[in-house]
Amino acid sequence: MNFDFIYTLELFPILLKYLGVTMQMALIGFVIALVLAVAIAVVRVFAVPVLNQVAIVFISFFRGTPLLVQLFLLYYGLPQVFPWLVGLDAFSAAVIGLSLHFSAYMAESIRAAILGVDRSQMEASLSIGMTKLQAMQRIILPQAARVASPSLMNYFIDMIKSTSLAFTLGVAEIMSKAQMEASSSFKFFESFVAVAIVYWVVVVIFTQLQHRLEIHLNRAYVK
Amino acid sequence: MTTRFSRMLAITLAALSFMTSPVFAQDTIKVGMSGRYFPFTFVQKDQLQGFEVDVWNEIGKRADLKVEYKTANFSGLFGMLEAGHIDTISNQITMTDERLAKYDFAQAYVVDGAQIVVKKGREDISSIADLKGKKVAVNLGSNFEQLLRQADPDKEINIITYDAGFEQDVVLGRTDAFVMDRVSSAQLIKKSGLPLQLAGEPFATIKNAMPFVKSEANQALIAKVNQALTSMKEDGTLTQISIKWFDADITQ
Repeated sequence: MNFDFIYTLELFPILLKYLGVTMQMALIGFVIALVLAVAIAVVRVFAVPVLNQVAIVFISFFRGTPLLVQLFLLYYGLPQVFPWLVGLDAFSAAVIGLSLHFSAYMAESIRAAILGVDRSQMEASLSIGMTKLQAMQRIILPQAARVASPSLMNYFIDMIKSTSLAFTLGVAEIMSKAQMEASSSFKFFESFVAVAIVYWVVVVIFTQLQHRLEIHLNRAYVK
Repeated sequence: MTTRFSRMLAITLAALSFMTSPVFAQDTIKVGMSGRYFPFTFVQKDQLQGFEVDVWNEIGKRADLKVEYKTANFSGLFGMLEAGHIDTISNQITMTDERLAKYDFAQAYVVDGAQIVVKKGREDISSIADLKGKKVAVNLGSNFEQLLRQADPDKEINIITYDAGFEQDVVLGRTDAFVMDRVSSAQLIKKSGLPLQLAGEPFATIKNAMPFVKSEANQALIAKVNQALTSMKEDGTLTQISIKWFDADITQ
């Protein structure tokens, strides 16, 4: 077994240079996905006519097809039907694809968290004159957020790693750099070890942040 | 910060389906390549380089075009071409009948042969006939799959398509052989030091060129590129670039 340790070390500066692209995709994608997911979840909980049906189809499609297929449809397929979409660069296409895909999953876990908040909370809010939306925003969602946060973090971690699919669209992110360096040096093992370590460290950092966030959200429940 | 903002803005615009008409500077040409086809196009120490890059830098100079390189998986390149994300592909694209029907090609700039490569020391494979019942790797989306299928009407060869890394699988013995062009096969063995060897003679001649989507605007572009290529062939520049990377002239 000859493992080129030096080569692996030398790869880190190159990979870290592109970590920004990976993180931008994940962070921007997550924010958009979160906004979409909350909206979809609320629509589903209130069973808003028409929008509810749209949401059901949306969730069904984006959970029912692989992310890679969705990215290909968005980047390679749609511009053939709508020529103006050619202006959509690979980075944006990847972010949109990630947002739509993950919002479908996140909507369901947010909906579950909302449904998990006791009915009495809504009834109490309505009894003191809040509208349903006000109650949702002021009373239900903050409580649901606490319940949903571990599973949302789960999706965020998944999203960070899913950005590696963006190379198929030509985005220069860390996985693409690892693959390219590997195919000119033929040191596949070394390259993939390096990129695995980078992903892992990033995820560990965010897991720590999640831990802090949980303590913060739980502060009202500590005895 | 500004780039992040402009990116977010771009995403928002696209997401809301606003009309964004793409504006391309006239003198820019977007060239797609895999960046993973040593030594034609590869990345070392974060630097895109190789035969294709040198050829295009020279074409850019002669045809007064600004060349913008875009790297993506080989299998994604034709999708990007179709969708208009790139103007052409420079990745040793072989002119096949199907492709000629669909795309306009610039003139050929590499002439080569399809080569079988096996693990060093293997003597049981020396021609296409020996591949029957064997696992043979080809690059996904490449025309070597087609060449193999043509030579194998009874479908006795077990063809496996890879996106990358098939050299490793042949070395590991998971796959019996791979098929690639002769020049880069020889180059790969020399540079990588992997225990591989060429098996027999090349079994098909291939001519490689750059494909463009059929359109009137592209006719003018192709004419420019052809003019540059012709002058590079005439004054020996193309041969020089070939010798720099391959120690041989693969351009005629």
